[in-house]
Amino acid sequence: MATKPLAHHKKRKSVWSTMIAQYELILMSVPLLLYKILFSYVPVVGWTMAFQNYKPAIRSFWKQEWVGFDNFVKLFTGINGERFLRDVRNTIGQSFLTLLLGYIGSISLALLLNEVRNIKFKRIVQNITYMPHFLSWIIVAGLVSTMLAVPTSGGIINDVLIRLGIIDNSIMFLAKPEYFWWIVAFSNLWKEMGWNTIIYLAAITAIDPTLYEASVIDGANRYHKMWHITLPGIKPTIIVLLIMNVGHILEAGFEIQYFLGNGLVVERAEIIDIFVLRYGIQMGNYSLATVAGIFKTVISIILISTANFISGRLGEEKLI
Amino acid sequence: MKKLISLLLVMLITITVAACQPAVKQPAAPAQSGSTDAETGGSQQKTGLPVLSPDNPVTISVWTTSNHTAPAADNKLTKLLKERLGVTINYEIIPTDNADQKIGVMLAGGEYADLMGTTDLNIRFITGGALIPLDDYLTEDKADLLFEHVRPYWNRLATDAGDGVKRIYIIPNYNRFYGEITGGTHYGASGFWIQKHVLEDAGYPNLDNITLEEYFQIIENYVKKYPTIDGMPTIGFELLCSPGREWVLTNPPQYLAGAPNNGGVIVDENNVATIFADKDIAKRYYKFLNQMNAKGLIDQESFTQTNDQYLAKLATGRVLGMYDQRWAFGQAHDALVSEGKDERTWVSTMPVYEGKKPYYADREVMNINQGFGVSVSCKQPEVAISFLNTMMSEEWQKIFNWGIEGEDYFVDANGRYYRTPEQREIQKDLVWRSKNKLEALYENMPKHQGTYSDGNADSPDNQPEEFYETLREYDKNFLKAYGKKTWRDFLNQPPENPVYYPCWNIHLVDGSEAQMANRQLTDLSVQYLPKIIMADPSEFETLWAQYVSEIKKINIKAYEDAINAGIQDRIKNWGGGR
Repeated sequence: MATKPLAHHKKRKSVWSTMIAQYELILMSVPLLLYKILFSYVPVVGWTMAFQNYKPAIRSFWKQEWVGFDNFVKLFTGINGERFLRDVRNTIGQSFLTLLLGYIGSISLALLLNEVRNIKFKRIVQNITYMPHFLSWIIVAGLVSTMLAVPTSGGIINDVLIRLGIIDNSIMFLAKPEYFWWIVAFSNLWKEMGWNTIIYLAAITAIDPTLYEASVIDGANRYHKMWHITLPGIKPTIIVLLIMNVGHILEAGFEIQYFLGNGLVVERAEIIDIFVLRYGIQMGNYSLATVAGIFKTVISIILISTANFISGRLGEEKLI
Repeated sequence: MKKLISLLLVMLITITVAACQPAVKQPAAPAQSGSTDAETGGSQQKTGLPVLSPDNPVTISVWTTSNHTAPAADNKLTKLLKERLGVTINYEIIPTDNADQKIGVMLAGGEYADLMGTTDLNIRFITGGALIPLDDYLTEDKADLLFEHVRPYWNRLATDAGDGVKRIYIIPNYNRFYGEITGGTHYGASGFWIQKHVLEDAGYPNLDNITLEEYFQIIENYVKKYPTIDGMPTIGFELLCSPGREWVLTNPPQYLAGAPNNGGVIVDENNVATIFADKDIAKRYYKFLNQMNAKGLIDQESFTQTNDQYLAKLATGRVLGMYDQRWAFGQAHDALVSEGKDERTWVSTMPVYEGKKPYYADREVMNINQGFGVSVSCKQPEVAISFLNTMMSEEWQKIFNWGIEGEDYFVDANGRYYRTPEQREIQKDLVWRSKNKLEALYENMPKHQGTYSDGNADSPDNQPEEFYETLREYDKNFLKAYGKKTWRDFLNQPPENPVYYPCWNIHLVDGSEAQMANRQLTDLSVQYLPKIIMADPSEFETLWAQYVSEIKKINIKAYEDAINAGIQDRIKNWGGGR
């Protein structure tokens, strides 16, 4: 115990000597640091647009008209305010459902795949399930739109349901607001489930096999092994991924809502990014778009730090 | 969309600013205007612009909004442009529904193609500083043909880009007429369209002074008689409200009330505009649609489809009726004709409320701020303008519209142009067209509409004798049954347009209250009207009341004021040219 402060003291004294000793490493990291600064920090200067009445015809930032917090008032109050709030709710709702279904889906699939002993079969299942990951979202949106249409327009789901006698008339899935969040979540599940299992399968291989052997001796069956060894074994991975995903909760995708969103479902379909597109970029109102961007960044930072903090407090993995 | 859109934009701008001068990607070969003139004697064209010739190949990049696809690789006219003028064109074609956000992103980036073909009513390229003023080129001794094109309408076309000076930035694409207006089809015409076979089956009923009720009755009878067409369920009436096409849903009440198309407003005899979305004329129309929906006459997929899906559905030939404008569903019409299903195409009817006179057709209005402009990124604006000017010559206009003499048409002893039956038929083939016509390029180009100096009409469809001969037997009989000569005859005789007409192209300033209110109004209609139409008739009144109360929350006054200011400005300034 007595040596610890001393060591600390010593270390601080030799920062420079350490840096000199490691100069090659430091030199190597400089380009990456510059890259980060150039593309992640310099653009933040553009946030000044939020306080201006930005006109693209005036190409200089500093010649723009300054309007203080006008754009914030415009976005967060009145009709726009109601609408923005609704869009925040939709974004979080869709994201949360997607996250939940995605976690349950990919973790269960990983656990099941891990139990498959026939390697060939396992490979085939893995390949089939992660193929959709490589499709672009706009293609997926097109597929979903066709699948959910009425049978005469190629709607397979309605066709199957009618032939099975479950329903009499086709359901207009894309015309009912209450279905929209689920459509987004299930499309995400379909597209990303297989891909997301890869990381869990990798984590599972890192679990010490002797644990399984020991548990068998203690009389554990397959379900016991899954519950008491595999799941706790990949818990750190699950938590790190969760913290990272919480930071993205305000990004619920874009293409699927843009393509499938229509007047009938707009109250549940419109998300922040689409609002920004429609009221910011399409109308040449870049300042309003920037305010929304700032809002998203600030909320994301708060969310991710909170998740990180809570996780640390609970004695779990921390990201930072 | 992993990144925030705004951050991306900011990044773009920062990089542009940091780089000071955006890198130029157009390696257009130098045209060396002076030496070219000297070499060729400089006497072919009297213009003070570089002469385009194959000795001086140039590449011109063209950005344009169009629903036509890029021409086939071995396109005949592409080759001709290269052979005769040395011009190669690089296309960037944006479908009309995606134009808005593309423009927003391009303005933030500040880099453009040489020639910009736009249909943006918000004139964002002009106010965003993307286009150069053309005034200096539009003179008798430079771009003479373009000058003649805009001369009589100078005041109408000149636009203030924000610096207080009115200049011309865009050469209009449609409805600047030369000579006489001929033509069997009015592409700007609105109507409640109805399938020809439906009318034939009903014994060619009289379409004058038809009411909405009668229109739907004819459709209902047909649906009952033929529940399927080609094995697919018959669709009584189709609607649409995809982005950019919301007007299909919102425009009809003004026509029913006997007013012409002014967009979202009706203008009274004192030239004062008011919105009609929340008025009784609108309520009556949507209530009626609600009842028709209850009868199962309206397509259940109307409001979930995109414009492409809508056109594809029309092209199946099982849609009996819809409200639309002729140009907007042209592709579906052409596809049906291409398949020989002429009886499945539509003619327009003009239902009105009792006591009103139909005013569906207007006098063709010249577009303002829609057409081609030259961008600030263009390295050699003289070359780009010279190209546009050359294309305006009667020689090239004939090539675009009629094709090549001897191949696509012939000239008879009286100098009249005509085509053989084979030449007429092949024009209906869409694949042939992509190989032999430049529709995507021509769409936004200035056009010599009306008649040429030799008295022939601008294009085959508008040459009266050609129009009739091009029709297949079915259409000829159909016209005979109604005692009419052209499709235009199905429309009302349009009176002279008011000076300010039409209000739909009054431009609302970016970021203004009026623009915001307009967008909010459109969004409300897109959110509520589909619900109102699809609802159980017992819920109609409640939903309508909700819709009206939401409209009341919007700053409608700002919108109406801006439109009224536009009307007054036009009345004051629009007379005269140069």
